[in-house]
Amino acid sequence: MNRAPLIFLGIFFALAFSWTGIVLTNQISYGSLKPVYDETEGKSYPLQTPGLAARGKQVYEDLGCIYCHSQQIRRPGYGDDIERGWGDRQSVAHDYIRENRVLLGTMRTGPDLRNIGARQTDRTWHYQHLYDPQITSPGSNMPPFAFLFETHKIVGQPSPKAIQSKLPAKYQPPAGYEIVPTERGETLVDYLLSLKDTYAYPETKNVYVEPTPEAGKEEKK
Amino acid sequence: MSEDPIKPNAQAEQAGASDESIQKVHSILLREKPEPKEGYTPMPLFILGFITVMIFVCTLYFVHYRGGFSPMVYDERYDPSTASASAQVTKVDPVAQGKRLFQTCAACHQATGMGVPGVYPALVGSPWVMESDKQVISILLHGLSGHMMVEDKPFNGNMPAFGPGGGYNWSDEKISYVLTYIRQEWGNKGAAITPEQVKAVRDEMAGHSKPWSAEELKGMK
Amino acid sequence: MASAPSLAASLNPATTSDDVQRAELSEIDASTKWPALFLLASAVGWLLIGTVFALISSVKMHSPDFLGNYEWLTFGRTRTAHLNAVVYGWSVNASFAVAFWLMARLSRSVLRHAGLLIVAAVFWNIGVTVGIAGILIGDSTSIEWLEMPAYATPLLFLAYALVGAWAVITFRFGKSKHIYVSQWYILAALFWFPWLYSIAEIMLIFAPARGTVQALVNWWFAHNVLGLWFTPIGLAAIYYFLPKVLGKPIHSYYLSVLGFWSLAIFYNWAGVHHLIGGPVPVWVQSAGIAASFMMVIPVIVTAINHHLTMVGSFNALKYSPTLRFIVFGAVSYTVTSLFGSAMAIRSVAEITHFTHFVVGHAHEGMYSFFTMVMFGSIYYIMPRILLKEWPSAKLISLHFWTTAIGSTLYVFDLKIGGFIQGLLLNTPVLAHKFGLQPGTDPVPFIDTVKVTIPYLQWRTYSGILMTVGHIAFAINFAWIIVRSAQATKTQPTLFRTPPEMEVTAQ
Repeated sequence: MNRAPLIFLGIFFALAFSWTGIVLTNQISYGSLKPVYDETEGKSYPLQTPGLAARGKQVYEDLGCIYCHSQQIRRPGYGDDIERGWGDRQSVAHDYIRENRVLLGTMRTGPDLRNIGARQTDRTWHYQHLYDPQITSPGSNMPPFAFLFETHKIVGQPSPKAIQSKLPAKYQPPAGYEIVPTERGETLVDYLLSLKDTYAYPETKNVYVEPTPEAGKEEKK
Repeated sequence: MSEDPIKPNAQAEQAGASDESIQKVHSILLREKPEPKEGYTPMPLFILGFITVMIFVCTLYFVHYRGGFSPMVYDERYDPSTASASAQVTKVDPVAQGKRLFQTCAACHQATGMGVPGVYPALVGSPWVMESDKQVISILLHGLSGHMMVEDKPFNGNMPAFGPGGGYNWSDEKISYVLTYIRQEWGNKGAAITPEQVKAVRDEMAGHSKPWSAEELKGMK
Repeated sequence: MASAPSLAASLNPATTSDDVQRAELSEIDASTKWPALFLLASAVGWLLIGTVFALISSVKMHSPDFLGNYEWLTFGRTRTAHLNAVVYGWSVNASFAVAFWLMARLSRSVLRHAGLLIVAAVFWNIGVTVGIAGILIGDSTSIEWLEMPAYATPLLFLAYALVGAWAVITFRFGKSKHIYVSQWYILAALFWFPWLYSIAEIMLIFAPARGTVQALVNWWFAHNVLGLWFTPIGLAAIYYFLPKVLGKPIHSYYLSVLGFWSLAIFYNWAGVHHLIGGPVPVWVQSAGIAASFMMVIPVIVTAINHHLTMVGSFNALKYSPTLRFIVFGAVSYTVTSLFGSAMAIRSVAEITHFTHFVVGHAHEGMYSFFTMVMFGSIYYIMPRILLKEWPSAKLISLHFWTTAIGSTLYVFDLKIGGFIQGLLLNTPVLAHKFGLQPGTDPVPFIDTVKVTIPYLQWRTYSGILMTVGHIAFAINFAWIIVRSAQATKTQPTLFRTPPEMEVTAQ
């Protein structure tokens, strides 16, 4: 039993090693990144997520969207993220500093959504896609989210937010009824539309440049 | 360190209460092998050699891909100590960039540039694309809405604005790249468009924010 | 060894020290009976619940309309409920039971005040139930491996504190002077887990870190639940049951030491490999990759140790259920870890990251390794705490073959499908070279989905096979508890009768 204290010390330092290296060091070195103020545009980046979009982010979280969709763009030439038009540049830490919960994701059963707000700005498309993904993307294995919409009797004026006119025939409600996104559905789309990382932070220039032929070296990576 | 014999385990005493249960205890335990022990065969030496090689290889790997230990480096090939201080000017191929950007346009105009008959006009051989620089730049900047004729075919739709202030908020460079691309693809043979040209049109139209109509565009020189 | 008259000596003055050891073991086993039984029964219950959620989620992935109208059963919630049920429900309950049963036996220490451990087990299970219910109603934190809402965590914490303290007390008051390798692993796991869990809860939920530091904390935590809790518990069980069933010593103490310390040092850095290419500093990614690769050392060392212990006794696999499950688990541990080291290499990660390949790998570790080792452990422990034999060897056999074949099919299927998906998704030039696509431009995203559908269907079929095994196991488990002890049956329940009945043990 006299070895027990030694074993304990070893066990302690083993985890202390990675806790210090992975967690503590990074918390110290970049855990206090501040937004960058851009003189030309007069704004601080990353922009604050608008209130409705923040509500929508909660919906994104509680429905578990992260388990099929990632939100991170890898560098050009590694994976195909930029070549697929999912973003202009690699995602950097600055992009995420305003997020209370960072949702990088680890699966791409569905496409990356980091810049979906720059790629698909049509609100109607999003409503169609959420109501039943087969409408916009036949063959998709994304589940339907019709419960983010409400079918109710038209009272007085039809709602300007009604979407049944944009849905194919088989989804039409009975006459006199309309399909309207619930608050959860609407704010979720607000959130998706807010997702775009367009600002070029200084560190986005920290990218490897292949040496030009004049330099005499051809280093293919 | 001895177990206090006066206070034996209560459950074991229970077991001692009946012959049958002692019999059972003994039968299961009697057939068990003794508790495990460790043998003391010396470690094969090749393992030490193996470990040395692994440590060497992994350390080299780590040092090579350390990105200067900077928290702002996300490209593993980048080394801040050897990169030039001035901003790197990377040669951009406008057609390749334009092709990538065109994936957004392909949602309506299709990857073939042929559009959808009656819904989205074709870009292949379209006079709206090929003839006037100012017209096509304006369409991209502010969008287009309403009735128009494209080579004797009528269309009546909406094209969103891609310029600053809109949902897409594309830079002059981006607009110039995608226009350059469509002007040389699918058999189109037209002149490239430069970012300066886009800026010039944008400045001229400063203050204009609504989508153009076909008549307004035709009126441009 | 006996200083004062023990129970056995008082019954029969002619007992040998071997008999004393066995009588001691009988006392120890008896003292662990109720907490172990409660924990194992809870574990089996959660296994069934987790399996139901698994099947639902698996079907949804290739038939997305399945149960598609119910918000509480949307894929993002059933998949999460599955993970939490099988990790915190099945795996942790089984870990607790196996950990302190082994600790009591190896420390030669009777478990005192076992009632408090039952309280801990109850708290743990209430916590997990509340947590999973919370996930289904929409309170998931959306942090992988930490999805149970904050209101479930105090109960979990309290339960863990009790279990941890009890294991340490049992160890401290034990009579054994030598600390056997399984004890190192269990003590280490018990110490590491609360550190990991507390930091994760604090820096992700209660006082969230800024930006992608969260991702680093998340994957330091989540991967270490695998590497610093489940792997040590699994290895502790293999290190006990393998030599115990065979009646041979572990091949080399020195390999055990090397395996333990190299695991301790390298495994906890490996978690960053979940973030390769991501918005975290490259140096920490490279550190995670280097550590993941260094993991080859403890894995090979442990594999050699186990293999050389086993050599010459492979025919025991014909008879012993415990041994079969344990050995299957041990081999799977080696295979899955080597794959893991390979997947950490940047050029491999480029293909496999974000694909179903990762899911296959995860199940190879948590199921083919850990769960199978737990099955083997349970088959050994139950007769000793209940003093009854397993009622049906046929059910054990069914359990083994369905889960062994099912899990192997599952892993092969998702790895192949995931690799194809990865080539099409991430490396079009390579995909073209392998003839998967006509050109070298990226294929439309929907094509990467369509190509996986048949593999996802086969995953459901393999899951059904595994479910049959779980049901067989649960039936046998319930049966051994409710059946009356038959005084005449003293032979272990084996797959077949070995020639030398007395010598070959369960």
